Amino acid sequence: MLINGINGVFGSLVQARPPAFVCLCSYKPPSTDSNPTLEDPTPDYMNLLGMIFSMCGLMLKLKWCAWIAVYCSFISFANSRSSEDTKQMMSSFMLSISAVVMSYLQNPQPMSPPW
Amino acid sequence: DLRLYLLLTQVSCCQVWGRYNDDFDDGEDLAEFDDNDFAEFEDVNEDPTVEVESEPPPKPAPSSIPVEDDEDEATVEIEDGQDEFEDADAQDQDMYSKYDKDEFEGYEKTNSPFKDTLIYQDVPAHLQNSWESYYMEILMVTGLLAYIMNYIIGKNKNSRLAQAWFNSHRELLESNFALVGDDGTSKEATSTGKLNQENEHIYNLWCSGRVCCEGMLIQLKFLKRQDLLNVLARMMRPTCDQVQIKVTLNDEDMDTFVFAVGSRKAMSRLQKEMQDLSEFCGDKPKSGAKYSLPDSLSILSEMAEVSDGVMDSKMVHYITNHADKIESIHFSDQFSGPKVMQEEGQPLKLPETKKTLLFTFNVPGMGNTSPKDMDSLVPLMNMVIYSIDKVKKLRLNREGKLKADRNRARVEENFLKQTHAQRQEAAQTRREEKKRAEKERIMNEEDPERQRRLEEAAQRREQKKLEKKQMKMKQIKVKAM
Repeated sequence: MLINGINGVFGSLVQARPPAFVCLCSYKPPSTDSNPTLEDPTPDYMNLLGMIFSMCGLMLKLKWCAWIAVYCSFISFANSRSSEDTKQMMSSFMLSISAVVMSYLQNPQPMSPPW
Repeated sequence: DLRLYLLLTQVSCCQVWGRYNDDFDDGEDLAEFDDNDFAEFEDVNEDPTVEVESEPPPKPAPSSIPVEDDEDEATVEIEDGQDEFEDADAQDQDMYSKYDKDEFEGYEKTNSPFKDTLIYQDVPAHLQNSWESYYMEILMVTGLLAYIMNYIIGKNKNSRLAQAWFNSHRELLESNFALVGDDGTSKEATSTGKLNQENEHIYNLWCSGRVCCEGMLIQLKFLKRQDLLNVLARMMRPTCDQVQIKVTLNDEDMDTFVFAVGSRKAMSRLQKEMQDLSEFCGDKPKSGAKYSLPDSLSILSEMAEVSDGVMDSKMVHYITNHADKIESIHFSDQFSGPKVMQEEGQPLKLPETKKTLLFTFNVPGMGNTSPKDMDSLVPLMNMVIYSIDKVKKLRLNREGKLKADRNRARVEENFLKQTHAQRQEAAQTRREEKKRAEKERIMNEEDPERQRRLEEAAQRREQKKLEKKQMKMKQIKVKAM
């Protein structure tokens, strides 16, 4: 009975564990060149939009541009991949916040709604 | 990182607000001012057209009135600024009666012209003592705070869902695969036993070390709960979280066939998008009624024998019981991903194919998923494991194999024909470019002697080429005969 029990245990072990000669393949992250459609372009677009709005806000002294730039930076950050450069994110944030600050320093009046 | 961003937002807000942190009282007093409050101005200049700019003088006024009152009458007790202005008119009368009328030659005390000629300039909004004028900014900041709150909540929810999924599937995976969780950073394949976070809403898990397959990549594609815009968009158009499983097989693990089953919408979409399904499964998706599948599902298959082989009783049982969670199941030995848009003038290479099993499952809950729902996906993982073993054992009979080989040969031939035409075109353009360049060189040559020699050399080369072609044609004709 003991031998049967041991057989049973070994039987289940053999079924559960793969044999030793099975190859272990390392993970290869799929290259983005092969399937560009699978990449989400949102963070890149938002980053670009954010920079454009920041520039508009700074050059043309438009407060609403600067605020939209801040929003774009936040959206870009929320959608970004973890492999992305944090320096890029940080510079985008800094630029948009500086746009807001500069437009208020130049013209402290509150923003008027477009309607 | 989050703390840093919050801190920066606060600093910028403080900078904006700090500039206006003066000790202004409420501006309600503005509305209650009367002529009499400008009594001090009357003494100083008799010009009635006084323009009042800057801040209204509630503070100087209380101090000036008792000075005048002290002269004859009892001192007015100053409690607070508001009370003094209640009987402003009365005070006015008293003040004028004290003075000698002769002092004010040419001056006619009339209230109305004073009122008419005074022009009240609006206090610029940023100097008014109210935050209400900055309501747009407050709205913006509130919106940003809401976004940040949603980011934190969404990120945590996704993380909890991923962890719940992994906890419920860990045992099954670890019993079937030697390597569970590899992020690809280390040189050797080491089992991390953890999910690999690609995004705030995408988690990967690589499993390897099993017979019958090379490896299995599981992608948990959750909704973008961390992005408020996406949350609002999903209120219009609900979508659900998905689990995508891609099993790559070795060459000997699968026979040559292409098969797919899934929801009708998914099947018609995949047939258009996927390279292999569009080439090998040209017919419209068929109903699964033959195998007593629900009506919501349809089948794309290379040939009937393949469908019969894959749809055995256990598979049908799995699919029928979890039909609501199955988006698509795709088995293919010619898998090369979605159709690639070809650029003009670029000669194609045959796309690399890999024997693959693809499963896409919908997480129940339609977006309102809770960690408990992840347990309901475990039977589907069992189905995946079962499929891997099944595909290894499934072999086509002789007829089926012949058909399959013919299909593949046909597809390859078509492909080569297309690329042949393109390659010929490319070669032709290249030859023309060369000729043009040579002609230009000859034309630009100043020395007439050299020009003549170059022209002769070019002509000789062309003659040789023509002769070669003619020889080839003759040889082909002889062979044909």
